[in-house]
Amino acid sequence: MKPIDVTRLKEIVGERNVKTDPSDLYVYGSDSSVHHAMPWAIVKPETTQQVQEIMKYANGNGIPVIARGGGSGMCGQTVPIQGGIMLDMKAMNKILEINLKDVYCRVEPGVVDDDLNLALKQYGVFYPPTPASSRIATIGGEIANNASGVRSVKYGATRDAVLGMKVVLPNGDLVTLGSHTRVEASGYQLHKLIVGSEGTLGIVVEATLSFVPIPEFRCMGVANFDALKDAGEAIGSIMASGSIPSMLELVDSVAIKAVNKTMDLGLKEVAAALIFEADGMVKEAVDYEIDKMKKICEKHNGKDIHASYDPKERAKIFMGRKKLFPALSKYDDNLASTSLADDMAVPYSKMAELAGKVHEVADRHNIVMTAYGHCGSGCMHTKILMDTKRKDQWDAAKKAITEIYEYVRSVNGTTSAEHGIGLSKAESFKVEKADSLNLLAGIKKAFDPNNILNPGKLSQAPEDWVTATNLRYSVNS
Amino acid sequence: MENKIKEFKNLEKWQGTLASCIRCGYCFEHCPMFKHTGWESDAPRAKIITAFGLITGEVEPSESAADKMFSCFYCKRCEAACSSGVPLTEIFTDARKDLVEMGLEGPGTTSITKLNCARCLICVGACPHEARNYDGKGIATDPAKCQACGICLEVCPAGAAKIENNFGTGRDELIEKASNFLNTHESSKAIIFACNWSYFPELQASVLPDSETRDNNYEILVNMCGGRLEPYLLMAPFLHNAWGVMAAVCPDDDCQHNGNLRAKKIVETLRNTFKSIDIDPERIQLVQIPAGDKSLFQAEIDTFVDKLNNMGPIR
Ligand SMILES: Cc1cc2nc3c(=O)[nH]c(=O)nc-3n(C[C@H](O)[C@H](O)[C@H](O)COP(=O)(O)OP(=O)(O)OC[C@H]3O[C@@H](n4cnc5c(N)ncnc54)[C@H](O)[C@@H]3O)c2cc1C
Repeated sequence: MKPIDVTRLKEIVGERNVKTDPSDLYVYGSDSSVHHAMPWAIVKPETTQQVQEIMKYANGNGIPVIARGGGSGMCGQTVPIQGGIMLDMKAMNKILEINLKDVYCRVEPGVVDDDLNLALKQYGVFYPPTPASSRIATIGGEIANNASGVRSVKYGATRDAVLGMKVVLPNGDLVTLGSHTRVEASGYQLHKLIVGSEGTLGIVVEATLSFVPIPEFRCMGVANFDALKDAGEAIGSIMASGSIPSMLELVDSVAIKAVNKTMDLGLKEVAAALIFEADGMVKEAVDYEIDKMKKICEKHNGKDIHASYDPKERAKIFMGRKKLFPALSKYDDNLASTSLADDMAVPYSKMAELAGKVHEVADRHNIVMTAYGHCGSGCMHTKILMDTKRKDQWDAAKKAITEIYEYVRSVNGTTSAEHGIGLSKAESFKVEKADSLNLLAGIKKAFDPNNILNPGKLSQAPEDWVTATNLRYSVNS
Repeated sequence: MENKIKEFKNLEKWQGTLASCIRCGYCFEHCPMFKHTGWESDAPRAKIITAFGLITGEVEPSESAADKMFSCFYCKRCEAACSSGVPLTEIFTDARKDLVEMGLEGPGTTSITKLNCARCLICVGACPHEARNYDGKGIATDPAKCQACGICLEVCPAGAAKIENNFGTGRDELIEKASNFLNTHESSKAIIFACNWSYFPELQASVLPDSETRDNNYEILVNMCGGRLEPYLLMAPFLHNAWGVMAAVCPDDDCQHNGNLRAKKIVETLRNTFKSIDIDPERIQLVQIPAGDKSLFQAEIDTFVDKLNNMGPIR
């Protein structure tokens, strides 16, 4: 650990915005991933200028800086494996402008996604990339992870909604990237590069985001399947049919059991269910889409298909989906839901095979895994449910993950659909991007020559996360 | 990470449960402490992480670690919202028991007794959690039992019962917030005091542009349990030209501290006082809102503000 000048940090942000007590550092060493590491100090800037001063200090002294929003990342993006300053961005939480004429809003990075949508709602518009974690995720964290969510199948991911941003570089310089326009073809469009950079290139201090009108009509349906494969194939068929769902989610039997147990949603305990939604300004158009999706589900042996415009019913299912990951911990009292192999994407036609593969691999390694996700956008999530005290379960999990990602790459899929790479997914990421790792390293160097921004993540992350990083669980040897 | 020490007799049994908390952080939005300080280390998730660290030996049982575990109003909203089914406050209580054995007890949010206590023992009888006792010399609070509902503060005639760390929910802090709102918003009319159950927080942490809030005519202030509403607090907004004050508490049988019933009595008394000095008693109101019933709460507020608009300011 390098000596850190706490007095200097307090000079920059004020005494009340710095914490160095070990019990606070311990808390900030975790996020929603399986990893843990101790930062050296937590610093909470309130202004862009303070961020600039912190960066200058850290850059001059070779001290790592890890930006942190809600700390809901699932892959250890904010876990400071090389120590350093944890830059808690939650105090930069102002919605600066809602510009209805030019169809954009400007926000500070600590604004919580749901808060932004609440503010936009009164104008009849919404910010659509919204991940399931929108009650806690900040815009800064969503940008850095290129977050997406249930509605991304129709409205796109964060990268599609970001028009521009202000970013503090490691040397403290403030740059304005992108613009306030819908389109831009002026060079490299570095703002799009910051999206998904996991805090390794610069600190976002302001973002300009587009929004869209809230549709007049939303209709949500559920189709049940006795075979996971049928549900997977229905997804491919729906997307290939030219249908435009505003949501198309898969939940498998493990996920259904877990949400039913937690929230009593009364979902049928079948092998898999698809939750689909269509939205629009004209009811007939929504009916048309829903009808089309229902028919496709029927063709793929979907049963008990039912759809509803009732906001209460929709809200209930929507909330069940939002709370799915935490609910998985209730599947079995002895098993905890761990964020491992947490997300991936494959071409639509491979969805069914991937879902099957997940279960086959899990059975073979004697662990419980679930397959669910925003499948309409090609995204599949899995979680591993295991007794985290048992080392053999971790070993089995590791093997299972390797096999699953091997499959994903073999069908031209990708390691992360939306949760990012962080630490846990670095192994597969590096194999997937093997021929462009040098380019990535060059980009990192251009932005951050002293390698102080979130070092040890993405392509710099250790290959074997189980042994190279601390796990946040107690594992018996 | 290996198992290290195991001297947390009560806490230890929760080790498996602590692992099943997926640390999603969905509890942040429900916690008035987190919303007040903005520090993650004050959020319920942080306490779970700390409890885990205490068991594994990664967190020293220090004063600051203990302070986290002793800081909680036991509103239990985090617990109700937790889809992983983690019984957070039971875990906090067990951690407290062990920490007390080690000689660590906060201050946290535990209510204490100042020297001006007259030993009338009213607080001992009023405490719904049997946390206050007369030990022959003075009144002592059991920090493992105190749930910081604040009822002792409300009943103490000498003002000797105190909670030192109020996280923005103390009487003086609330009065300051209320006066600040009333003095800076030309359109301001009402202050709504709400317990953490009757009010579902809308914006959890973000700040709206000034243009969005300039014309607000009421402000909602979370005071934790209705049992803490003192007449002085309810009357204070009127000194800053409020047209009305509303208190929102849980329905009759729903309050775990029975603070709602106390609040009802206090509001009733104040309404009678208003009548006797010829002020419309409707300017002070109590409503009972089932947990998280946002639409009912909003409807009650709208009706109240409409009524105030008809009445106009107090002359
Ligand atoms: C239950 C649950 C459900 C989830 N569902 C989804 C989902 O549906 N879709 C999805 O995409 N994700 C999901 N996630 C993952 C995660 O919540 C999101 O990716 C989210 O965007 C992270 O936001 P955060 O504010 O918590 O970021 P953090 O976890 O705090 O940080 C994430 C990354 O952003 C960087 N960062 C944060 N702020 C800044 C900044 N100002 N400038 C530069 N870098 C910054 C950090 O360094 C880190 O690399 C889920 C997580 C949980 C726990």
